Amino acid sequence: MTSTVWQSQSPQVEPPNRNARPLARRRKRRWLPSFETRMMLPAIIPLALLSLIPFGYIIWMSVSKVTLLGGVHLTGVGGANWAKMFHDPAVWSSWRISAIYFIATVGIEMLLGMGIAILVHEHVVGRNLLVSILLMPMFVAPVIVGLLGRFLTDSSFGLYSWMLRLIGFDTNILGRPGMALATVVALDVWEWTPLIMLITLAGLSAVPPALIEAASLDGAGYFKRFWYVVLPSISGVLVVALLIRAMDAIRFFDIIWITTNGGPADATKIIPLRLYEIAFRFFDLGYAAAIGLSMLAFSIIVANLFVTLLEKKRGVAQ
Amino acid sequence: MITGRGRGASILIPLLTLFVVLFAAVPLAWMALSSIKPTNDIMSHIPVFVFKPTLEHYRGLFTGGNHVDRYLVNSLIAAGLSSVIATALGTLGGFGLSRSTMRGKRHLAFWIISTRMAPIAAVLLPLFLIFRTLGLLDSLTGLIVAYLTFNLPFAIWIMAAFFDSLPGSLEEAARLDGCSEWGVFWRVALPLTKAGLVTTWILCLVFSWNDYAFAQTFSGTSSQTLPIAATQLITQTGIDWGQLTAVGVIVVVPMVVAGLAVRRWLVTGLTLGAVTGE
Repeated sequence: MTSTVWQSQSPQVEPPNRNARPLARRRKRRWLPSFETRMMLPAIIPLALLSLIPFGYIIWMSVSKVTLLGGVHLTGVGGANWAKMFHDPAVWSSWRISAIYFIATVGIEMLLGMGIAILVHEHVVGRNLLVSILLMPMFVAPVIVGLLGRFLTDSSFGLYSWMLRLIGFDTNILGRPGMALATVVALDVWEWTPLIMLITLAGLSAVPPALIEAASLDGAGYFKRFWYVVLPSISGVLVVALLIRAMDAIRFFDIIWITTNGGPADATKIIPLRLYEIAFRFFDLGYAAAIGLSMLAFSIIVANLFVTLLEKKRGVAQ
Repeated sequence: MITGRGRGASILIPLLTLFVVLFAAVPLAWMALSSIKPTNDIMSHIPVFVFKPTLEHYRGLFTGGNHVDRYLVNSLIAAGLSSVIATALGTLGGFGLSRSTMRGKRHLAFWIISTRMAPIAAVLLPLFLIFRTLGLLDSLTGLIVAYLTFNLPFAIWIMAAFFDSLPGSLEEAARLDGCSEWGVFWRVALPLTKAGLVTTWILCLVFSWNDYAFAQTFSGTSSQTLPIAATQLITQTGIDWGQLTAVGVIVVVPMVVAGLAVRRWLVTGLTLGAVTGE
């Protein structure tokens, strides 16, 4: 009796594996791809068609001159598009504006989102309703965000222009380069701060209250508690938020497209808008493809960081 | 409860909360209010808060050659079908990816997430030429396919994250009871991820419903969607802000309602599974 119990608890027993299946079944089906692979195929095959074909095509475009008249024609031009890109001050200036736009939007969104999350976390009663209201901007189509921006900042009837006039600030907001950039940043901040808030809130609820209490008893003031207890606990989710916003910052361009279309005087012409203009206004599609690939390189770097981060997190969890 | 409960906090917190709520809600409230305002009051130099509500802007959208109903149907078909296809395939693929032990799984996962993160402008270019060759420009089929380029990898990835979060013991038990592999998926795993499934579908719906770049580039007169309708109200002669805010309400309200309906699972969905639960 005792010996059988002891045997069943033997440390030699393999760790439980959710993927473990009876060996016989696994052997019998060796000629077939595994069940998991067969489950993946209906999704992976269309995805391969949708991503690998365009990917190959954009590479081909980037070394070609593309003509559209009388059917699509690609004529090889070697590295001409690439050489042009590295020497084009317009493209460099767009990357620079993209960088400013990215740092400004993400910086403000992170600070504001964290701040709002901490504020919301203070509310116990009505927190659900409060969060619901604050999340609303996130679901608004960017094109509507852009149009609302124009509506609210219109110099003759805009609500926000009127408020600015009240405090003695009378100007055509979208007509001045600096103000235009600030406005499109503000619109992006309005739409995406809720996402940072939501992510931070998830991080905050994972901070054990006992930890904060202990720090408090040890005489840590508000900022010390935040800096030494809360921030380290939520730093993981903050990095996730940063990466998600980094990839979106280069993914979307609808808001600027609608409000200023890159103007005035290219002050808000971020790189996706530059690409779009080169492709669909000047119809230099080969050149645009080279720019597109350089943007893709950026997002692949972000994706790589993201996957590495996820793996590290899973590694810690196990 | 990071702050103490001092007297300063008891004044500051409600005040800041009010400010934050106004920051988020005023633009939307102003849009909704303007959509039922007479045009004269919209164009007033000083904001008008008291007015006689009217539905003329909404009526105008569906009459007098505006045909917003047609755009609405296009939006419903393109976003609806694309999100359903993506969720269905993504559920199968996500389960496979979550349970797979194959070599190179990391590369597969990386490829899927990179596809999802690809800049829209960079995806537009080759698709534009491919669609032109295949005759898919200005068709709803083309739009559905275009939306699948970001919805499908998203759905696979998110569903995999939802399946990852299930306890393995249930499936193990089902397997020991003689459940087939498909049965484990269909009768055990899938019912447990119902909420994840709905969240995935709604987020796919929101992303494609809100799309402007693809629709603007690919669609002509027979496949325009609601966001395009909104921008078409901007003409050389001026902007009809009454109708525009009315379109805005029609575009925004369903997505806000849908999005808030799955609030509990939003964090997982929007962080691509990197952060879970509130």
